[in-house]
Amino acid sequence: MEIKLHDIGEGMTQAELNHYFVKPGDKVNADDPLVEVQTDKMTAEIPSPASGIVKELIIEPGSTIPVGTTIMLLDSPHSTNQKQLNTRSMDQASVNPSEENRVETHKKNTDQKRILASPYTRKIARDHQILIQTIKGSGPAGRITDADVYSVIENEKSEINQASQPIEENTQKLKNTLPYTGIRKQIGKKVAQTLFTVPHCTHFEEIDVTEILQLKDQVKREGQSISATIFFIKALSICLKEFPVFNSSLDEQNGQILLHNQIHMGLAVNTSDGLLVPVLKNVPEKSFRTLQTEMKDLHQKAENRTLSMAELKGSTFTISNAGPLGGSTGATPILNAPESALMAFHKIKKRPMVNENDEIVIRSMMNISMTYDHRIIDGGSAIAFTNHFAELIEQPLSMMVEL
Amino acid sequence: MVVGEIAEERDVVVIGGGPGGYQAAIRAAQLGKKVTLIEKESIGGICLSTGCIPSKLFAEAGKKRDSLQSLSRLGIEVNEAKFDLTVLQKTKQKIIEQLQKGIGKLIKENKIELIKGSAYFLSSDRIGVEHGHNFTIYRYTSAIIAAGCTKVSSRENSDQRLLDYESIFAIQEIPEHLAVIGDDYLALETASTFQQLGSKVSLIWLKGDFPFDVSINKEVKRIFKKRKISIYFDQKVKEVHANKKIEIVMEDESGETSTLTASHMVKAALRKPNSSALGVDRLGMKTEYNGHIVVDHACQTSINGIYAVGDITEGPPLAVKAVKQGKVAAEGIAGVSSEYDDTFMPVIVHTNPPISSVGLTQAEAEKTYENIKTATFPMSALGISAVTGRKEGFVTVLKEEGSDLLLGIHMIGEGAVELSTSSVLALEMAGRTEDLTFGFYSHPSVNEGLLEAIEALADKAIHLAPRK
Repeated sequence: MEIKLHDIGEGMTQAELNHYFVKPGDKVNADDPLVEVQTDKMTAEIPSPASGIVKELIIEPGSTIPVGTTIMLLDSPHSTNQKQLNTRSMDQASVNPSEENRVETHKKNTDQKRILASPYTRKIARDHQILIQTIKGSGPAGRITDADVYSVIENEKSEINQASQPIEENTQKLKNTLPYTGIRKQIGKKVAQTLFTVPHCTHFEEIDVTEILQLKDQVKREGQSISATIFFIKALSICLKEFPVFNSSLDEQNGQILLHNQIHMGLAVNTSDGLLVPVLKNVPEKSFRTLQTEMKDLHQKAENRTLSMAELKGSTFTISNAGPLGGSTGATPILNAPESALMAFHKIKKRPMVNENDEIVIRSMMNISMTYDHRIIDGGSAIAFTNHFAELIEQPLSMMVEL
Repeated sequence: MVVGEIAEERDVVVIGGGPGGYQAAIRAAQLGKKVTLIEKESIGGICLSTGCIPSKLFAEAGKKRDSLQSLSRLGIEVNEAKFDLTVLQKTKQKIIEQLQKGIGKLIKENKIELIKGSAYFLSSDRIGVEHGHNFTIYRYTSAIIAAGCTKVSSRENSDQRLLDYESIFAIQEIPEHLAVIGDDYLALETASTFQQLGSKVSLIWLKGDFPFDVSINKEVKRIFKKRKISIYFDQKVKEVHANKKIEIVMEDESGETSTLTASHMVKAALRKPNSSALGVDRLGMKTEYNGHIVVDHACQTSINGIYAVGDITEGPPLAVKAVKQGKVAAEGIAGVSSEYDDTFMPVIVHTNPPISSVGLTQAEAEKTYENIKTATFPMSALGISAVTGRKEGFVTVLKEEGSDLLLGIHMIGEGAVELSTSSVLALEMAGRTEDLTFGFYSHPSVNEGLLEAIEALADKAIHLAPRK
């Protein structure tokens, strides 16, 4: 049985093989991890599809391989073991002449959808050392055309040219180039797609977070450290239950809005390579402390690029905490499609505010920007949503009552 | 023999002059290489001397003999036809010599150096060739191993009635009752051929069913039954006694034994790749545990610059594979980026009527594609079948619903072998239904069978009753 690098999602077409968890001769059970691979975004373990014995490791650790490559061979009792029959000695065979297989197992590739390209097109790719498996076909029914191959060739050429352009030329142009590949390109593709296809708008609100900060300090004095973000996340989970359309995705094709039963919070994390959005799962069911630990862990993994596929998938709402980065007062974030809404928190500042008694008091204020999919959410609902959110934050007791 | 340090310099060395080797040699020469071809026996290999060519000649004889019965409908009366096997054997010898001569001429014309002898690798760039008392060492730039397999000799071979799929085509008398044992196309072909040459035939099939699409398996069974070929499925042969008659004791799935008595028996010989005799082990070349050389898509072995093609590599021992691999290897050496990919290698069986199968069978397609559609068109509905009187068989085609992508084309019937190239071409070009229904199909001809089968996928076959 061949173990292949399957589609790893996120538009990634190749991965680097980090290391094997097994060696030839090892017995493995179904779902045991066999090998770890890494893309620009994350690391993933490939589990064993069946129980069996590891036969051969084909790819050297450290190699970069395209999706579809056979990584290793597994001897599984489920796969027919015809070849063993060939090893019978002739003496045995003369007594029992039945079982020599003159035709050895034909390794015909029948378990994988084939490459839709004519032999001529395939040769163009080979001639340019391009793995045709990595090309997405633009032709009818996903066929790879000559033009598709040539455009990949041109792209590669221009990347090489960019990398090898002499410095004088660069200074002449007064421009440097940076590679637009990997994670950067993925982000670019995704935001462009969302911006062009989802009509979304953003509204701003100002929230008094003085009480929450006091509560946070109080908890700290008790020896627990819970960040303000966790309080915001918890408050959001209450709002999302009340306004389920903010925790939904539009399925335009089937004419329905999918309301999600779970609340999984996407956390926009700024890394040195760009934006990553790991997911804090099942927010309502978890304690403040658990959420705090898990969030810290996800941030760490994002920075170390060790997030797993599972940790990057499944968010139903996304938050972006711009506060710790410095002084923004507002933003117009782009949705994390297919989610219907996203909230950004900006820097908390002490400001003179007018209270109920018309007195000027010093309060800690935070701006929020909330982007929503205007196809399914109207401005009125968005205001109701942020009003409720503000209420819970400004009066933490009311939040505690709801939890 | 003296193993000196002096080695003669060569460019491309090809070891083995079978279909893979000689075609590799010619292709390399065409691409400007200086080629040396080493062959220890005769040019053309098993394919030419004991394999494809002799078996197809016998199949042709069987087919012609069988067709005599149908001549009277054309008003042609043949009185008592005679069959002289010695003439057929002489013809076979003549064909072999004639083809060998042809290949020899091509080798000369392409300025390929032909060396007679057995080769043995001394290092990854030196090979020794032994011929009689001579031993010469050659240093080469690249090598193509096309040395094939050798039958593992057996005591049985001393009994003239116990045959394999090569020796049976050298026989001097037509068996009275031939027991055919096997599990591949050779068994089917041999059963069909000898039945038509006058033998009573019993087929002991070692597996559960024939290896084709389910529709074809059924048709083969029907045709064999009509021709009075008895088939025993899923049997294990426990004992063979070569007494006055050949007694074959077999055991079925449930453990029940039975004995078949025949005058002759044919079964596959065990064949071993000639890799160890070539000394590839000492080079550290990667081989399968049974000795087949492991090659990549360019037919290169684990050692840079050494290629391997044909039966000595993994995969089915078919000339069609060796020929393709030989060209790919030669082109690789000449710097052309060629690739060997057997996804659409046709399976051809020269039974009467013949079978050709390309692409996925229904069972295979169901594993990969969610939604497939199949259609079958019977040859009997064609005008040409009425003309020739050859009404057996049909064409079965498979497509993916939605995309209309063709997945497999399987046929049994007169003309199936010739039509197989249309199947291969359609699938290699990633053809969809309209790609095949758009063009013209000569009338009347078996080509129309393919057209109507594909039209039947959309319930548009003209000569087929509407689906109920």
